Order: sequence, then C-alpha cells, then structure tokens
Amino acid sequence: MRKYRVIYKSVLMENLQYAANVAMGFFSYFVFIYIFVKLWEYMYRMPGERIAGYTKEQMIWYVMMTEMIWFGSNVASVANEVAGDIRSGDIAYRINKPYHYTLYILTKYTGEWSIRLPMYAVFAAVIGMVMVGPLPKFGLREVPVMALCVILGLTINAVFKLCISLFSFWIEDTTPFQWLYDKVILVVGTIFPIEIFPEILQPLFKLTPIYTVCYGPAKLIVDFSPEKCVEILAAQLLYLVGGCGVMLLVYRKGVKKLYVNGG
Amino acid sequence: MSTAVKNQLRVCLLSVKYNIMREMVNKVTFLTNISFMILNNASILVQWFILFRLREDVGGYTFREIMMLWGLTAASYGLSHILFARAFSLPELVIKGKLDAYLVQPKNVLISVITSSIRISAIGDLLYGIILMAFCRLGLREWILAALFLVTGTVVFTAFSLLLGSLSFWFLRMDILENQTVMGMVSFATYPDGIFQGLSRFLLYFIIPVGMAVWHPVHVLARFDAGMLLTVLGYTALLAGSSVAVFYRGLKRYASGNLMGART
Repeated sequence: MRKYRVIYKSVLMENLQYAANVAMGFFSYFVFIYIFVKLWEYMYRMPGERIAGYTKEQMIWYVMMTEMIWFGSNVASVANEVAGDIRSGDIAYRINKPYHYTLYILTKYTGEWSIRLPMYAVFAAVIGMVMVGPLPKFGLREVPVMALCVILGLTINAVFKLCISLFSFWIEDTTPFQWLYDKVILVVGTIFPIEIFPEILQPLFKLTPIYTVCYGPAKLIVDFSPEKCVEILAAQLLYLVGGCGVMLLVYRKGVKKLYVNGG
Repeated sequence: MSTAVKNQLRVCLLSVKYNIMREMVNKVTFLTNISFMILNNASILVQWFILFRLREDVGGYTFREIMMLWGLTAASYGLSHILFARAFSLPELVIKGKLDAYLVQPKNVLISVITSSIRISAIGDLLYGIILMAFCRLGLREWILAALFLVTGTVVFTAFSLLLGSLSFWFLRMDILENQTVMGMVSFATYPDGIFQGLSRFLLYFIIPVGMAVWHPVHVLARFDAGMLLTVLGYTALLAGSSVAVFYRGLKRYASGNLMGART
C-alpha cells in the first residue's frame, strides 16, 4: 500500500500546480448548469409543483450534483492515457514496475480528482445558493456518508472506463466506446433522476452502473434517507467488487496479447 | 480572377480529400468513429422523449422543431469540422510557431491553414444531422433552405472559432477560451431559444451567435420569414468578413518560430 500512497501524494502535489487550469473549466460547468436552470424553470410552471416526486429546487440541485461529479472526475488518466499507453507500446515500460498497472492508474486518477472535485464542489455550492437557493432538508451531519457515496461512485466509474480502455489490446481505438458509455451515463443518470423514466424501465436502470455512479450519490444529496443510503452503499460495494474483478480479468487476458517491438 | 478562385477551390477540395484518405488508412477505426458518433448523438433523443412526455412543447418548440434544431446543429458543426477543422485549433499553431509551413506556400494562407486537418467523427455528426432532417419530412423549399442554412451554420461556427482563435496573435491562453466558448455555443444550440430571456437571449443571438447559426434558421424552416433569412445571411457575411480581417491583422504580428516542420 505504501507505494500507492507515494504515487497518490506525488500526483496530488503535481496537480496542485495546475489548480488554476481546473478553475478555467468552471465556464463549461456554468454553461451546462445555466441551461438546465432555464430549462427546468420553463418546465415547472406552477409554484410548488413536483415532477417525478422532485421539486424544482431538488431537480436543479440533482443536475448540479451529478454534473459536479462528472466535471470533477473528468480526467484523462483512465480513458485516454491507458488507451494511449497500449497503442503506443509505452505500457511495456509500465508493466515491469513494482506495482500493478491498473491500480497505478486508479491511484493516479484518485490523486487527480482529489484536487478537481473539491474545487467543483465549492463552485457548485456557490452557484447553487445564488441561482436556486438552499436545498430543503439538507443536513450537514450526513455529509461524510454522502462524500463516501460520491467517492465510491467515482471509483466505480473509473473502473468501468478503465475496462473499456483495456480493450485497446484488441482494437486500436476505444474512444468511440468511451463516448457511448459517457453519453448513456449522461442522458440516463446525469440529466434526469431515474424516477422520471417510465416505470417499466426503472428497475432495469437500477441494475446498471448508472444507479451507483451518479444517481445514487446525487439522490442522497438532494433527498437523504437512511434506508436509501444503505441500499445505495450496498449496491456500490457489489459493483466495485464485480467491476474490479472484470478489470483484472480483462487486463490479464490483454497483456498476453502484447507484442513488444524495438525502437 | 476566376481561374485563381477555381485553383484555390481545387486545392481546398484536394486537401479535404487527402485528409480523409489519410484517416481511412485504418478502416475499422474510421468506420467505428463515424458510426459511434451517430449512435452517441442519437442517444440524446432520449432526453427529448422524456421532456415531451412532461409537456407538449419545450421553450415553444414542438418535437419536430427540436429535431430540426438538432439536425441543423449537428450537420453544421459536422461540416465545419470536416472542411475547416483547423480553424478550431488555430491557437496551437500560433503559440507553437507552426504557421511557417503555410506561409511559404503559393496559395491563400488562411484557406491552407483551416483546411489542413479533419475530425473524422464529424462525418458522423453530418450524417446524423441529415438523417434527423429527413425525419422532419421537409418539402422541396424547406430542403433548399436547410441546405442554405447548413452552409451559413458552417460558416458561423467556423468564423466564430477563427475570430476567437485569431486573438491568440495578441493574447495568451486563447486556446482555452476558444474551446470553451465554442463548446458552450454548441451546448446552447441544442436547446430551444424560448427558455432563454432578457440579456442572455440578446447575448446568444449577437455575441455568441447561436441564434444566427441555428435558432433563426429553425424559425424560418418552421414558418418562412424573409426578414429573418436576410438577417442570417447578413450576419453570416459580416462575421465571416470580420474573422478573416482579424486573422490577417493578427498574422502581421506573427513571430516565426525555429521549429522545423512541414505541412501535414
């Protein structure tokens, strides 16, 4: 574990130098949130109206939280870097190091979001308070468990994206698969809560990563309940264990296909 | 004069042709990029199915008008990235001193620069836009107008990006501003203008020209309005002229680098 702690610390220190660059991404986040504030202001026509059980404030905060998770964890290491390493052959230099390549990438990813996510969280809280107002029933006591849920969600997402990138061992470019995965998560889990979809589809969505990656953490933030919290955490742990198993299997099969050429 | 224009146009088309041929070296990647971009764009339709389950209109748009909006945005964005992709990454060439290779060529510098690369997934955007427009069941007149607006939309996207990118001749970090503003423009362009009011609406029509690239065209396609059509044409010509002028003004400030390179 010590070696991964050292990797984490070095990535964290490196990323601290580029905190200003992260702040430049706030513009895109703001544009996205601004559009959704206006959209939901249009869709909610009566004061106090509820759509799929959500008030206007909850619906906007839901989008702000899912987007905060999305923007706050949007780093290249689990997608482009892994695919790039495999395509260019650089992975040959990484797999003979005294660490497991996939765990190295996950540690690096954690170091990267450790700077981005808190910055986006503060920015989201500020624009949320200004544009929508405080969240009703939000309790500071539940913040640690909400944070745990967000971290688990981020890690599960990284594991799945890493699995897709590892398919570069077989196909040259996995970027289109990353687009599709991202878009499904974005449309089904980020823009809307699951309750807004037809009832027949809701149990299906609860079995997908969408439930654990973005819906679960955001739901707990906007409408916390202890029962829901236990359900979401249990689902996240299951997904994390299953996802890591798949990731290690794909990696083990993939490296066997690796050819090293001189150069 | 006409021979010079014809020659320039020929070089342009050859440039696009070779860009595509270069990308087609790996056919599987080429086809996957295009087909997955179509799927990627199509998945967002789910969002609109959900919103139209809640209300009969969104921002005053019917579902058909939303499809036109998406069709026009995707097709214009796609065509601009097929023909003029480099206009969207101009700051990189300026900052790193990579323009030298274009300055020594006996053809128009701006056209040589902006046609020198392609984004293959943009073919998927263009095809998706056309497919979506086909679902709108347009008449002959609407198809002619849609083709015209595809050209104006492409020019507006390219010219706006070129204008912002050309500012890198004067200022640093314009790559980030250009990228975020253009992506912001695309985000706004995929939602109806009826949800924006007041100052934001004014800004989105005249400063970040989303209104001229797609909103006005969709209004004209839905209900023909000669005034709006002329406004779009006039604004497009003005923006294109301004961006070209700013590029050449900035080019005079360009300090050549010592980088050895050739046009790719």
